[in-house]
Amino acid sequence: MTLSLQRRFVTPGPGETVEEIAARALPDQDQGAAVDAIRSWNLHIFAMRRPPGLLLGSDVVFVEPPVG
Amino acid sequence: MYDVIVRGGLVVDGSGGPGYLGDVAIQDGKIAAVGRIEGGAHRFVEAEGRVVAPGFIDPHTHFDVQLLWDGAAKPALEHGITCVVPGNCSLSLAPLRAADRQRVIGMFQQIEEMPPAAFTEAFDWTWEDFAGYRAAIEKSLSVNVAPLVGHSVIRLWVMGADAQERAATADEIAAMQVMLRECLDAGAVGLSTSFVDVDENGRPVPSRFAQFEELDALSEVLGEYGRMLQIVPEFYAIDITIARIDQLAELSLKHNIPTTFSPVFDSTATPDNVARTMARVEEQFARGARVWPQMQTRPIDISFSLLRPSLFFARLPRWVRILRQPLEARIAALRDPETVEKMVADLGPDGGERMMGRLVVRGGDGAPAELTGRTLSDIARDRGEAPALALINLSLEHGLDVAFLNANAGHEVTERIGPMLAHPLVHIGASDGGAHLASFSTYGDTGYLFSEFVRKSGALSLEQAVAKITAETADIWGLKDRGRLETGKAADIVIFDAATIGRGEERPAFDMPGDGMRYVRAATGIDTVLVNGQVAYAAGAYSDARAGVICV
Ligand SMILES: [Zn+2]
Repeated sequence: MTLSLQRRFVTPGPGETVEEIAARALPDQDQGAAVDAIRSWNLHIFAMRRPPGLLLGSDVVFVEPPVG
Repeated sequence: MYDVIVRGGLVVDGSGGPGYLGDVAIQDGKIAAVGRIEGGAHRFVEAEGRVVAPGFIDPHTHFDVQLLWDGAAKPALEHGITCVVPGNCSLSLAPLRAADRQRVIGMFQQIEEMPPAAFTEAFDWTWEDFAGYRAAIEKSLSVNVAPLVGHSVIRLWVMGADAQERAATADEIAAMQVMLRECLDAGAVGLSTSFVDVDENGRPVPSRFAQFEELDALSEVLGEYGRMLQIVPEFYAIDITIARIDQLAELSLKHNIPTTFSPVFDSTATPDNVARTMARVEEQFARGARVWPQMQTRPIDISFSLLRPSLFFARLPRWVRILRQPLEARIAALRDPETVEKMVADLGPDGGERMMGRLVVRGGDGAPAELTGRTLSDIARDRGEAPALALINLSLEHGLDVAFLNANAGHEVTERIGPMLAHPLVHIGASDGGAHLASFSTYGDTGYLFSEFVRKSGALSLEQAVAKITAETADIWGLKDRGRLETGKAADIVIFDAATIGRGEERPAFDMPGDGMRYVRAATGIDTVLVNGQVAYAAGAYSDARAGVICV
């Protein structure tokens, strides 16, 4: 049985920044735009969290917009 | 000569098969025979016209602290619960060094809404390790306990304050594995972790600082024992929940362990979420993974007064800050016009109508009788105030002791919930027993399963409902001796009236240490509860029996 396609995500490495995540997850894109995109796809980290943007090792960080 | 024969009831044995008239004989705490039983017994329990079922298992509780002074986990036992699983959501009371106690008390206070007095007044902290905690509760148990150990406390044990700062080193992860093994050897039924919770300072709990590799390493240890991993996913966002399901499935397959996540609940605001969750769960089960979604039976009702902080205000940081202050300072703040203006402004241009208008004044000591049952929207209109302001002023006029009820805030549409509960892969649980004391009653969900979804809507048969909260739960958790009325199994038995079993009315009780308040429900329709062959509750009264064990 194959799994249906779901939204791709990565989890941050120790001390990894959003810039570093953008560089490894979206290497072919303009990096400024990639960082902005990751922020906009992960409001649970970059808007709702206090302090905003604190990255945790257990986080789900989406690297694409919602599918479908 | 048997010890006990339960005579003449409708035996619903937990298997899901049709009930039949019969007897259950008990010897040495175990079921000795089921069916038509000849022969004598020291004691007969008459069950004519009643259902005789295996004791119910409550797989998601926070009775960790209550069990230290109340081995019956009251009132869970009178609702037919004969086994509870404490230690959920990454929090347990062991392993825990004396120096870290305050920190973990703060987490219980914030996340599970339990008053600090519950942790300081009713017992002595005699332990640090898991075996010591086990010994402390084991002395006087009336219910059985299958305790989880919390990832956050294991992390704290190994890393100290750094547990809430950073990733673990390889050595620290190895030390956590050693500690988890020690806990499992001492009777832990598995490990719990959380991806959402914060402590009383708003800091993410230790488990959230773990890399996936850390959870993988701990799951490897669970695999040595075949024990459970429980998680709290980001239930407010379906995409993240699905990502968590996939992570659990990976761990389940790799280490051959059962996993469970809670809460899963329905909301008419996001009506597709449960269906999407279940679609993914089905796909993962089809691959062989065990990822059990835990669903509560009861609707989400939240009560609060301004006497103490409440989940209700979780999205209003200013309110939380003010309501956390000591009583005098809190009242002073609520009397300060400038502060109140800002608080009301936090609700937006409608003055709180959308968020607070539907609140209803509960009956209670402080509440004026003429307002009981009226909505805040209605009261605010009469007073010529915005709802948020009316809430503050009305509370001030009555020493803050006015309780408000936010009823049916989710998971409340019986026609939708019934089929979800009946789904073969839905694990019924998530009561949060022993937590959220002043917000809602976490007791009686099993009674509600029968009253609402067997009798009223018919979404489940009696036999199905019993199986869901007995044999199926025991199978999911690997509790081999529990959950079935079968020869050789532990004699955990509940005798109830199928026509009247229910969850009872929610009412405040002041029976927590330090006269702390909590909402409870008294069971209806439950005649007798036996734990390991001894009558623990009968005819409305708890017995002195202390037959409960750590049942892992
Ligand atoms: Zn919980």
